Amino acid sequence: MLLLAPLLLHAQTPPTVLPGSLMQLQITQPAVDVASPVTATATFDPPVTQVGAKTFYRVTVDATESSIEWPEKIPAPLFLLPGAKTQGQVMQTVNGQVRPLTAFLYEVTPTTTGRFTIPEFKVRAYGQNVTIPAADLEVNSENAAPVTPPRQLVLEVSETNVFLGEPFRVRVMLPSSPANEIEALRETQLNGDGFITDKTATRQSVQTINYNGQLKPMFIFETTVTPIATGPLTISAQAFTAGREFSGQISITGQVVLPGGAARYVFLVSDPVAIKVRPLPSAGELPGFTGAIGKFIMDPPLLATNRLRVGEPVQLKVGFHGEGNLARFVPPEPPRDQRWQIIANRPQFTGYTLIPLTDEVQTTPAIPFSAFDPETGKYVDLTIPALPVTVTGEGLPVEITAFDEAKTNTPLKLSDLTMTTGKTATRLKPLQLQGWFIGVQLVPLIGFIALWQWDRRRRFLAAHPEIVRRRKAKRDLRREKIKLQQAVAAGEAAAFTQHAVNAMQIAVAPHFPAHPQALVCGDVLSLLKESERNRETVRKIFAAADSQFAITQPTQAHLLSLHSEVEAVLQQLEARL
Amino acid sequence: MTRPLEKYLAAGRATKSGRGLPQSMTLARWQCVLNFAKRLGLRQPSAALVVAFACLALNVTAGTNDFFAQGIEAARDGNFSDAAAAFQNSVKAQPSSGALVNLGIVEWRRGHAGAAVLAWEQARWLDPFDPWAMQNLKFARTAAQLDEPELRWFEVASTWLPPNLWVWLAGASLWLAVGALILPPVFRWKKSGSLQTLAALGFGIFLFTVTANLGVVSRTEIGFVLKKNVSLRLTPTSEGEVISTLTDGEPARKLRTRGNYFFIRTANGTGWIEQTQFGLINPD
Repeated sequence: MLLLAPLLLHAQTPPTVLPGSLMQLQITQPAVDVASPVTATATFDPPVTQVGAKTFYRVTVDATESSIEWPEKIPAPLFLLPGAKTQGQVMQTVNGQVRPLTAFLYEVTPTTTGRFTIPEFKVRAYGQNVTIPAADLEVNSENAAPVTPPRQLVLEVSETNVFLGEPFRVRVMLPSSPANEIEALRETQLNGDGFITDKTATRQSVQTINYNGQLKPMFIFETTVTPIATGPLTISAQAFTAGREFSGQISITGQVVLPGGAARYVFLVSDPVAIKVRPLPSAGELPGFTGAIGKFIMDPPLLATNRLRVGEPVQLKVGFHGEGNLARFVPPEPPRDQRWQIIANRPQFTGYTLIPLTDEVQTTPAIPFSAFDPETGKYVDLTIPALPVTVTGEGLPVEITAFDEAKTNTPLKLSDLTMTTGKTATRLKPLQLQGWFIGVQLVPLIGFIALWQWDRRRRFLAAHPEIVRRRKAKRDLRREKIKLQQAVAAGEAAAFTQHAVNAMQIAVAPHFPAHPQALVCGDVLSLLKESERNRETVRKIFAAADSQFAITQPTQAHLLSLHSEVEAVLQQLEARL
Repeated sequence: MTRPLEKYLAAGRATKSGRGLPQSMTLARWQCVLNFAKRLGLRQPSAALVVAFACLALNVTAGTNDFFAQGIEAARDGNFSDAAAAFQNSVKAQPSSGALVNLGIVEWRRGHAGAAVLAWEQARWLDPFDPWAMQNLKFARTAAQLDEPELRWFEVASTWLPPNLWVWLAGASLWLAVGALILPPVFRWKKSGSLQTLAALGFGIFLFTVTANLGVVSRTEIGFVLKKNVSLRLTPTSEGEVISTLTDGEPARKLRTRGNYFFIRTANGTGWIEQTQFGLINPD
């Protein structure tokens, strides 16, 4: 079964993807409707008002803001005195399609009673004429019955008298409707020059707060604003109501009633708020000021290790907390120091990377830093202090204190000079790599080979004893011949005879084999059959030798003359060995 | 012939006795050799021959001792440069674990961590049980945050004994085993179990020592970076791209040589390094 398993396996085939499907997968947003006929509305909010009371002339066009060619002046009666124009755009979802909605808002304060109409007029959107319908406003006298004030945003700032660069909180609030329904805000925007809005510090909530003397649920959009210009500034807010279309995180406190049905996008604005921005005082500025304004507290700086080597980086962790815009906190610039290389950690400031360039330093460099406290109006010193370190490298340490007290109490240290040479060698190169040592190792090898050869030869000679006998005979014959020569030279005939007999016996002994002394003349003669002269010489020599046992010994002086014949006999016998 | 030598020794003793320990040690050694030859009953030519050979051998050690003593004296005076030179000469004349340990100490004092680590490793190469070399290496690696060279298993085994002892042990065990097998039939000794046990034991020891000897040979390629911030290059040229920067005392293994460069493997990768910036345990 296991062997058959691979046959049952098939490669996975990817699903077929039709052309354009991938593109559709990537497009998750519904299409923007720009093809439908553009419609427009124009109303007064409220349509009935009093002389001197504020009302808004609101025009909405369901086209993109950039496509609408809005006239500089609208055809309004002069006594309506239209104020500053505010405009905004929101994207609304209609029948599954996104459709832009642009709103234009004019603040109007009528000065006379009566019924007024702003006639219809034409604007161009998407290159086509769009008719803005007429809008009627009824203005009553001041003594008439009170009318409902127009719906407006409420703008609240935490500070109205700030320093340049000092961030402050801004709250854009939308009070609940008369039916106590809370609506969300979309496309909230702060208008005005000389400040920047921190979009990363926004927060949305629904809270019940005291508004005009009564508790009222409100949708609150909160953000941080930083002034970048001095002098009197004006700030106002605008947004669209969006029903229950809450976007992003929101915290809701208390009981809230949400409107039902589709959202109604109504363009609202707030009354402007004046802000006074003062420049930072130049007197008393401390080193290391990077524009940090607020009440900051520095945590104790933390060094990763206080024992360093030259050129080795170490992390210095520095933390700040307190009141102020920490998100836009600019860390102090690292000072220039020839003995240290200092790099600020980016992008999020967590501290510095310090690299000692010499071992002469004993502390990390102090990094000057200061912040401006707007409450006291003074600069506060927040310099990162120097920390003690031990840097090694150029001059290396001779002792290190024990790190782990539990393991050992004895510090690591450099030993003293040793007074003895200790173990010596001729070279540091090991014998394994020296040629002569391999030669030395060949000596036992050669010895063993020689021993083996000797044993082999010995066994061969033991199997062939005639070789040994012949070799011994040759050796003994050589010795006897020398003695023979000496006897001839000395003129000693008896010795000559004896050595000649001995030599002949030795020369023929291996042929029998027998001890040389056991051989007689006949044995020698049996090997000398070719030359009669030599046989005669042998007989004479053996006869002379035997005569020594006779009662009267014959003179043997003449035998010395047989020296050459004896030599010839011996030569012949030796040749047969 | 011994008489002129005695005269020379006496003259040397008279004139140079106050010049310090090394010369006195040399003279004392020569005197010992002469007395030993006389005690053996050697006549004048034989004694002269013995003394001549002994002098040849002792001259080397005497020279080593001279440099060694000079190095200690200079180190005590705080003159570490001269001390280093003296210990280097001592090592050049005859490598010894003591001179290498002292050389490492004075190099460390001079701030040359790489040269110090190399000297102590060489001392441990000569004598794996040298306590001073081991202590100083441990200290240096802790202080300078250096790694030990990574050894393979057979290289670890090779550190249990001095390198030369391994090879002698291998030779002795091999020939002992061969002898135990060959000699009995040659000399017609009676077959015995003890001889066969001896042969088996010899072969066993030989096989083990082969791996240790392999480790010794392999360890000769280990070296240490001698200078600070040495560039490890992609090619063996001074314009080669720098792959990494090595610190002094960092261990590495030499793989091959080209021109004035070694191709080495370090913990940070492989690359080329100038030969002058890298010291091998076995510089031959």
